[in-house]
Order: sequence, then C-alpha cells, then structure tokens
Amino acid sequence: MIVLHALWDNIAFGKLHLWAESSTLPAITPKIRGRQPKKPRPHPFALAIDPLKEAVGSLSESLIVESATSAVLPILLPSARKGPLPSPELIREEIIEDKDEIVLTPWYIDTLPLDPDDALDFLISLPGEPPHGVAFGSSLCFWVEAAKFSLELITRQCFIPTINEDKGSFRAVWRVVIDEEDSERVQLLSNSMPPSCRAFLPQEEGRAPSPSELLSSFINRTVDAFVRSSLSSMSLLPTRRGRRVVSLSEQWLKALSSDDPRLEASTEEVGSFSQEIKPWLSQIQPTPSDTPFRTCFRLDSPDGDAQEWKVSFHLQASDDRSLLVPAKKVWGTRSGVITFLKRRFENPQERLLADLGRASRVFPAIDESLKTARPVEVSLGTEQAYSFLRQSAPLLEQSGFGVLLPPWWQKPSARLNAKLRLKPKAKARVGSGLMGMDSIVAYDWEIALGDETLSPAEFEKLASLKVPLVKVRGQWVELRPEEIEAAIAFFQKKHDGGEMGLGEALRIGLGPEVSEVGLPVIGVEAEGWVGECMDRLSEGAKIAEIEPPQSFNGQLRPYQIKGLSWLVFLKQFGLGACLADDMGLGKTIEFIAFMLHERVGRRKKSWPGPTLLICPMSVVGNWKKEVERFGPLLKVMVHHGADRLSGKAFEKAIKKHDLVVSTYALAHRDEELFSRIHWECVVLDEAQNIKNPSAKQTQAIRKLNANHKVTLTGTPVENRLSELWSIMDFLNPGYLKSAQDFHRNFVIPIEKYRNPTRAETLKRLIQPFVLRRTKTDPTIINDLPEKMEMKVFCNLSQEQATLYEAVVKEMLEKIEDSEGIERKGLVLSTLLKLKQVCNHPAHFLQDGSKLPERSGKLIRLEEMLEELLAEGDKALIFTQFAEMGAMLHNHLRETFGCETLFLYGGTTKKQRDAMIQRFQDDHRGPPLFILSLKAGGLGINLTAANHVFHFDRWWNPAVENQATDRAFRIGQKKNVQVHKFVCLGTLEERIDEMIERKKELAESIVGTGETWLTEMSTDQLKKIFALSRDAVREE
Amino acid sequence: MGRWSDWGYYEPARPKPVKDGIKTKSQRGEIGETWWSKRWIGVLHSFGMGARLDRGRSYARKGQVVSIDIQNGIVTAKVQGTRARPYSVKIELKPLSEKDWDEVTDAMAAQAVFAAKLLSGEMPPNIEEAFAEAKVSLFPASEKELDTDCSCPDWANPCKHIAAVYYLLAESFDEDPFLIFKLRGLTKEEIIEMLREKRAQTLPEEEASRVIEADFSEEDSAVPPLEECMDTFWQAGEALDSFTVNPTHPEVDNAILKRLGNAPFTVGKHNVASLLAKAYTVASSAALQKALGEPQEE
Repeated sequence: MIVLHALWDNIAFGKLHLWAESSTLPAITPKIRGRQPKKPRPHPFALAIDPLKEAVGSLSESLIVESATSAVLPILLPSARKGPLPSPELIREEIIEDKDEIVLTPWYIDTLPLDPDDALDFLISLPGEPPHGVAFGSSLCFWVEAAKFSLELITRQCFIPTINEDKGSFRAVWRVVIDEEDSERVQLLSNSMPPSCRAFLPQEEGRAPSPSELLSSFINRTVDAFVRSSLSSMSLLPTRRGRRVVSLSEQWLKALSSDDPRLEASTEEVGSFSQEIKPWLSQIQPTPSDTPFRTCFRLDSPDGDAQEWKVSFHLQASDDRSLLVPAKKVWGTRSGVITFLKRRFENPQERLLADLGRASRVFPAIDESLKTARPVEVSLGTEQAYSFLRQSAPLLEQSGFGVLLPPWWQKPSARLNAKLRLKPKAKARVGSGLMGMDSIVAYDWEIALGDETLSPAEFEKLASLKVPLVKVRGQWVELRPEEIEAAIAFFQKKHDGGEMGLGEALRIGLGPEVSEVGLPVIGVEAEGWVGECMDRLSEGAKIAEIEPPQSFNGQLRPYQIKGLSWLVFLKQFGLGACLADDMGLGKTIEFIAFMLHERVGRRKKSWPGPTLLICPMSVVGNWKKEVERFGPLLKVMVHHGADRLSGKAFEKAIKKHDLVVSTYALAHRDEELFSRIHWECVVLDEAQNIKNPSAKQTQAIRKLNANHKVTLTGTPVENRLSELWSIMDFLNPGYLKSAQDFHRNFVIPIEKYRNPTRAETLKRLIQPFVLRRTKTDPTIINDLPEKMEMKVFCNLSQEQATLYEAVVKEMLEKIEDSEGIERKGLVLSTLLKLKQVCNHPAHFLQDGSKLPERSGKLIRLEEMLEELLAEGDKALIFTQFAEMGAMLHNHLRETFGCETLFLYGGTTKKQRDAMIQRFQDDHRGPPLFILSLKAGGLGINLTAANHVFHFDRWWNPAVENQATDRAFRIGQKKNVQVHKFVCLGTLEERIDEMIERKKELAESIVGTGETWLTEMSTDQLKKIFALSRDAVREE
Repeated sequence: MGRWSDWGYYEPARPKPVKDGIKTKSQRGEIGETWWSKRWIGVLHSFGMGARLDRGRSYARKGQVVSIDIQNGIVTAKVQGTRARPYSVKIELKPLSEKDWDEVTDAMAAQAVFAAKLLSGEMPPNIEEAFAEAKVSLFPASEKELDTDCSCPDWANPCKHIAAVYYLLAESFDEDPFLIFKLRGLTKEEIIEMLREKRAQTLPEEEASRVIEADFSEEDSAVPPLEECMDTFWQAGEALDSFTVNPTHPEVDNAILKRLGNAPFTVGKHNVASLLAKAYTVASSAALQKALGEPQEE
C-alpha cells in the first residue's frame, strides 16, 4: 500500500508537492556511525517519481500528471537512527521497534509538484474514500479541506483584484477577502494543520513558515489561479476602438483575466497606480475585530398603523452583542472615553461618525440623517425599509457592522407560502393492503400568508398594494415581487389541483421543497387515511405499541417491542421499512416476531402468503436456526444448493411455507422463478448488498413483487448515502427521486461539504422509514444486559465440505482397526483436522494459499467486522491456533486497511505491553486485536474492545469465559457482545448442542479438555463427526 | 516645432528633459480623476487662464517638474525649462483667518456628515456649502487669491511652469483631497480636532467618566516548533473532522463591488468597478459548478 501526502510550498507562486510512502520499500536506511547527519539522505521508503505519477494518475480523472514535472525536496521527519518513522496510515509488516531516541532528521523525497490551479483541481476531485491499496495522509486530507474552502470563497465572491509587488516587478492578482465569520474558520483550519504540513526543511537562514502563512498563501494562490482561469476565455475590457496606448487600468484588467499577470510599466507608474488602488480596496477592510466595540444598526418596524420605519444607530460591544450604547448616549459624552455597563469605549464619537460615513456607501439613506449635528436614527419608508432588509443589511454586516433586524424577518411564516391539501382518492381502511407509496392522492394547492389561507380576492388586494412589506392582521409579511408573480400566475391558471402519488405527497410534507406553485411549502393538510399516515409519520409522533405475539418463543426486550410495532405500523400503510439497528440488538427476532404478529388471530387457512428472505449465504443457516428457535410456528424453507426446487415444484413447495430463505446470488440466478411469485413480503437481510444499483442481483431484486418490503441492515445507513438510496429505492421506489438527483441534492453536499441543512432535510425525509437504534442509545442501554453471548452459525464452503468428508472418511476407515492409545490419538488428531477445516481450508492444508471466499467463518467474520468498524468499535478475536491467528492477522489487515495486532506465544513481554497500551489508549490506534487463546486468555486488560469473537471453540466455557473477560471486566463502559462461531452441520454444531443440553454436566465433564470425546463409541463418533450436506454453502 | 519668428526672441520650445521628473499619471485627455481635482482645474479655467493653463499640461505630462512641496498656504516647486537650471515656482493661496476657520467649523459641526466623511477618509460632497455659510471660499474665489511667482523670463501668468504645477496639484488632490485644507491653513487632523472640541462645547457638563480597564487582547496562540511536535507530527486537529464548507452563491450579488463603490479609474466611459462585475459572476458560477461536480462549461 501507499500513503499519499501533500506539502504546500509557499515560496514564489506556490506549488503543491505530492509525495508518498510505500509499505513495500525497505524501512531502514544503511546504518551510519556517529551522530545523526545534518545533510539530507534519500528517504528509504518514499515512492520514486514514476510509480508516484502512476499512483496519482489513477486517482485523478484530469490529465495533470501528464504534464507534471518532478522535484526532489528536503523534508524533516521524526526519525529513529535506522530511518524515518512511517506515518500512522502506513501499515507495515514489522512489529514496532523499541523506541530509541526520535529526532527530526532531514530526508530527500521525490515529489510531484502541481501548480495552484492543478492543485485545486486535484484536491477537489479526490474521491472521499481512497481506492484499495492507497491511504490519504493527514496532510493531504488537510489540503483537501483547504481547497474546498478556497472554492467556497470563490462561489461566495469573496475576492478582490489587487497588485502585488515582488522585487520590482508588478503583478495583477486576485486575493481573498476574509470576513469575521470566515476568519474564525481560517483560524480553525490553521489550528488543525498537522505538523507534517510544515515538514519542509527551511531554506538556509530562512525560517519555517507558520501554519497561518502556509494556509493563507495556499488560499490566495488557488483562488487567484481559479478565478484567472475561469476568466481566460473572456475579456473584462469594453470592446475597444483601435487605440494603441493602453492605460494601466486596462493593463490591470487584462492581466487579471489572463495567465500572464505581469504589468508592463515603470516602477514609478505602477507604484502610483497601486497607491491609488489601495485606498479604494482598503474600504472593504472590515473593522478590526480586536476593537472592543463596533457600530450597529437596528431596524424597528413601525408602531401601530404608522408607516415610518426607523434605523437607529448604536455602539455594540464586541464581546457581548446584546450590549448596545445608543447614539444619543454617545453624543452626550464629553470625554474621549465612554463607559457603559463596565465596558470602556474610546473615542466613541469619532468611531460612530467615521462608521456612519463609511456605512452611507452601502446604505445611502443615512446621508439624510447626517445633515443634523448629532444623528441618532434615520426614518425609512416601507420601500426603503425593504431595500434595507434585502440589500443594505447583508452589505453592512459584511462590512463588519452590527445589524439587528426585527424578529419576524426571514421567518417562513412572514412570507407568501403554498399549502398542500390532500385527500385520499379512494376510500380505504388502514391496514387493508390497498395503500402504498404509489397510492393516488388528490391534491390542491392553496396560497397562504403565515398559517392563514388567502382567498383570490384577499390576495389580489395585497398584490395591488404593490409594496414589498405589508402588515396583515398585525403581523408584517414580506411580499417578494417574484413570489407575487408566481402566485398571480397560479390563480390565473385556476389550478384545480390534480393527483399525485402518496410518495410525492410525503416528500413535500416532510422535506422543504419549492412547490410547482413557485412558493415555499409551509404545510400540508391531509384528510382521511392520508392525514392519519402523515400525522403518524411526522417526527416525534408516537407509534402505538402492540402486544408481542404469544407464539413468540422468548422474551422481547422493550426496544424490540417498539421495533416490532414500528414494522407493523409501516406495513399498515403499505410503506417499506428499513430496520437498521446495531449489530447484536436483535433485528432477526424482531422480524420473526413481526411475521408471527401477522398471523395472530387468523386461522391457518387465511394466513398470509410466503415471505421471501434474501440474505448472504453466510447467515442462511443462522436464520433457519433462529426461526426454529423463536418462531417454531413458522415453516421455513431454505432455497439453495444444487438440489433446490424449481418450476412448479418450487411454486407448490412455497405454499406450504411461511418463510423462504435464499441468497443474493440466487436472487439473480433464480430471478425468473422468484419474480413469478407475488410474495407477501420480500425482506433483505444485510441489505447493504444491494448498494450497487447497476449490479445484476440488485436489478433482479428490484423486480420482485411483494405486498410489503423490509430491509435489515446493521451498517450505519445514514452515513452511506448511495447505499441508503439503493435501499430506499427498493423499499419505496421513487421516493428519493432518481439516483442522479439524489447524488446532486444530497450525496455531494453532505459527503463532500458536510452541509448541515441538506443532512437535516435528508434526515427528515428518511426518518419515517428508517429505524436505527445503537447500543449506546440511552433508551436501549438500560434494556441491554452488560454482556450478550450470541452463537454465529456459519456454513461450510464446498471446498471445506469436501475436505471435511475426506477427513471423516479416513478416520472411519482406520478406527475399526485401532484401539487404546492409538484410537485415542486418531480421534484427537481427527478432531484437530476437522477444526482446522472448519476454520479455513488453508489452515488445514497449511499451504499458504489465498484466503478470500473459501471459508464460511471467515466470510461471516469479515461481514461482522465491517459493521463494527463502521461503528468505530474495537474487537478481540480469539483462536486457539497460532497459525490461524497469523493468517487472520495478515488477511484482516489487508482487507480493512487498518492496523491489526496479533498476540501469541512467541510475542515478547515488551511487545505485548506495547500492543496492549496502543490498543487501550490510542483511540485512533488499531481496532482489531487477534489473540491466541493460550497467550491472551489471562491477566491482561483489553476493555477498549466491546466485541469478542471466538473464531474456533475450546469447548470449555470456563476457558472461553476467561478470554471473554479480557474485555468484560472492570473499566468496560459499553455492553460487550460475544460472538461464538459454530459451523453448521459439523461436529462444532453437535458438540455445541450437547453442551447446551446439559450445561451443568458439560462443565464438569468437558471442563477437563477434549479427551472425553475419545471415550465415545464408533457409532457415537460417526454421528458427531458426520457432515450434513444441507448446511453447505452454495458457491 | 517652433516658428521662425521665435528665433532669438523666445527660448527654444524644447525644454531640457528631466530624469526622474514628476510626471502626471494621465498621459492623455483630462488631468484629474475625482470630482474634486476637476473642480480645482475648473476653478482655474473660470479665471480665464484657459489657454495659458493648457501650455503647462504637456510640461506636467513630460515630467518637467523636478520637485514639489506643499506646506500650509504655500506650494514651492522646481520646474525644468530650457535653461540649465530649473526655475523656482511659488504658489501661495491666502490662508483663512482663525476667525474664518472658526465659522467654517461651526457650520461643519452643525451637520454630522462633515465629520463622518472626513473621518472615513472622504471629502464631504457639500463641503463648499460649509465655507459658503461662513462667507469664505475653500477654492480660490478669484485669481487675486492666488499669489504666484516663477523665476522664468516669461511674464505671462500663469507661465507654463506655474501651469504645470497647477496640474500636478490637481493630481495631488486626487490622492489626498485634504491638501486643499492645508493650502487654506489647516490640516484635516486639525479640522477633525476642532470639530471634536465643538461637539464637546455644545454638551452639558457631566461627570468625568470612570475608567475601567478591560482586557480585550487576544490570547497568543503560538505555534510550537516542529521539534516539539514529534508525538503529533502526523495528526490533524480534531476540529478538521467537523469543518464544514458550503459552496453557494452570495446573498447579495457583487457585494464587494457594491461596498467598494466606484473605482478611481475608468476605461473609456466605464468605471473599472462595473467592468469587474463580470469577473465575479463568471468565477462564482464556475466554482459552484466545480464544487458540485458538474461538468465545466467550456
């Protein structure tokens, strides 16, 4: 893997240097004697220029790499004697060395230098998640944020043209303008800059640039480059008559829009030109924020029926914006200092006067008041007040003045709005199954002011006033001219309303949208079941809790009853539900309870038709087990394997079953078979499997017919937006609009720019359809036991099954002829081999072959780890085999690209302590810790983990519990989930059953080890070891 | 260039070139860009010195003025003519009397606009009204108020050397409009101070304000040198994770240009500020497109 870093060179015109560390290059440099050298040496594992170009080229769509040159830079890195320390993102084979003295040492690195415009382009177009084998260093991530900020400043037009002088040559450049709010953000960015961004070896005599210098150079250069290049195809100059003499103003405008920023004129000429530009430009300098007070303008609405608005002048304390000193008080002060509520204001009169002079540029109405000696306020007509609100107020604020506006301003209720009135098209009873996202709803638009609906006559009266601010029923409202026009057009068309789907109606009701009327939607009023649906879907609405079905074989926790009630509620309205509770909270049993509830009080004949469950192969067995355990009333049919039913036989068989369990792979392969059936319900477990909308299996699944749809997923869907869209589009097609719309409206603003309002809108839209509870939820945590033990039933792969059967066969051939010690040895060695096969074929074969997709356990482990890593959780993984531990160690590290620890018998005490400390103390440190049961089972404290996996079994609960207690002990603040892996149809399942059946017995017998197995008769052994084929994975 | 009859009677028309002379910025058209300097030239023209003034303009453009010094009430300059040594030019404008200034500032104190504009660095547009109220004039009311002298042999007044200095003065007024006050005897700061005193006089006595020291100085957020960042060398601050960016069009279009107002330059009939407006619109749209990942329009 490589880790990509970025350095900003602020010298001259600025360059972004990309460089990378590689995990495959040697970590150390030849040893040198004596003191650390002062001169830089080549960095041992920095990527050379050619592979660097290739790596960067594969990341970026643009062709910047083609034209890019290369550079060699000296940088300073924390280093040990043997070489530079790798960045934490770089995952290397070696276990960390004992720390010798770490000092800053100079190294040479190859870099790919990018000009400011290419740099901005590259940083903006970088994918959010690096592709496999690449990690983004913190310095690169930092410059990505800075680049987004540059871009935002350009979109908001926060830049000015100016002239830079450098060694007697003059350049026309664009420079950013940072207002007060932005300067806080600049400060935040610059405080967050990782020190590695300053790794440049300072030039001789030179001083290393500070974070704020680097940042400001980066922002100014990238903004200049972008603005310049966006203007390259046009001219700022008026069309010219053939004049030869080019004035400096013309030259300046030209140089601002071309790639050559130089100004050709004598130093003196440009000097005096820039002398004149500067005072002009300096007018936008905001009042320095370190002054204790500023001038503030307060607009007050007229009292009663008067039409006179007032803007009064005040001084406002910078540290307490509610502290206002009225102008009158300022004029009444004789000395050069005014104190007010313990604040001290110096030269207040001059300040106020100067500010009023300055403010009159953007708020010319002030001039009138300045004709008096001691101006305190200015009166405005309604039109002027409106222009103050819309234009002057924001400009005054940007100029650094305080502005206080009446509280009604910009409240949605103080505007013209559209209101949607909905009526069900057909009468239907809630729960009759006749409703759904595509149910037709009749609608009508109304125009409203605040909450009050306006009749056409009332509206006409308002519009005829032709003023932008009107007092209606004692309340000021804004009548935007463009909105008045939209409303006039609306009434002219005599909108009779129409029909829309329930989905669209919900979308309008839940998310703020601009209606077809051209006005913001303020509310939705709905009648009949539509109204009921809307009310109950809105945020915070209570869903009636239902009685858990008697037929449920077990106890539902309170939050699980809520989940069940929620599933039932959405079902009533025919709406698809996404149950997205954290792993381990019991989504499976909530769904089983839901299926049972659907059958409560009905005679078997009138039970609903079959439900189709699609899940990954790795959990098929688990589902069957769980349904048999918690809902024995439900008939389950597993549809997979070579001998699965087809055609008529399938159609016949499913009629006798309540739940058909099949896999994602088969959903595509048996698409034709499945799509012929009209299912009662289609449910997707681990629904993130349909995240790719263009995948064949996703498309096949979307074609399935069902009365109702449910998805189950443990990944945080709200953070994975494309996945969320795919799932929602399966559940409630069309509700989130097309994938392209969704990408533009939500994915980019939220994922790239963390736009809080879009995130909020999306949350409101999906909130009714997604139920996600986390283990740390305060309402959940009390319902949960501190430790939850769960069996994870896995299926063998075909390869595993073949190996398994061969081992059993070999034993059975030999066992007849063996006795005593020999027999005992044979049984134990067979046991060992079978355990290895259950773990992984490569574990049994010991051939170093590849790991992916060959072991049911490993596949399931990966799926579960992915979920918990996405949650930010940490896990311990126990195995009794050091070889298996080593295999997992390498494999998981590569799969998840995260650092993984491995503790086994060969680990030294020093290494062990270092590992434990990093796992416990560093919250950004390694999230996965693999331990051999023997080496890691005792004594150590690993409470940073809240998941414990037993990848294989010792069959001794005491030993397993001791291991589990590494995480489940004093200091643990979360609930601990223990996942015990069991291969279905194998000896693992049988022994597990035996132990469960006679737990007490087991503890006494089994407690001593596995020798008790050797005492069994051959027949008993046959039963225990034999493989049941139906538990084997479909490949 | 010169007519034959100039020969022997007049000095040759070509003056001696000056290295590093003070040239006007404007090399064609009118000299003086603000209403203020235009007013100055206008006043001089109104004295009927039009043709004589024009002769100084090319001198001013060529940079024949070697030095210029503006003091209270008096401008002295050296202007290079045809002779080896530059001529000495002196222009005196009669300073206003203390009493006159008192009356002028009284008039100014009656309207906040004067102090407001002066303090924000602008010449109040109605400044001449304040002088008119005190029955004096800011600009010279007649040619008599200007006492000029030049060491050249030309007895026309203004000679081209004086005229050149008039033009350079116009440009000086562009840069610092308050120079005219200096010529009338007071600096801007002195006027502001007088206005402050007058505001105070008109106020009732009040208790001396208590002075309470408040500490507004910001904490110094010093950046530790790299040597002290070994443990955090590769770590970005946690705040970076919550840094939000919101690419969007501005609330008020071209707000910065609106705040700046007209630029002190024009190209043809267009003010530079209005020519710049296009740049803001184009760049802002291009950036928004890029931010939203939409294909760039070519």
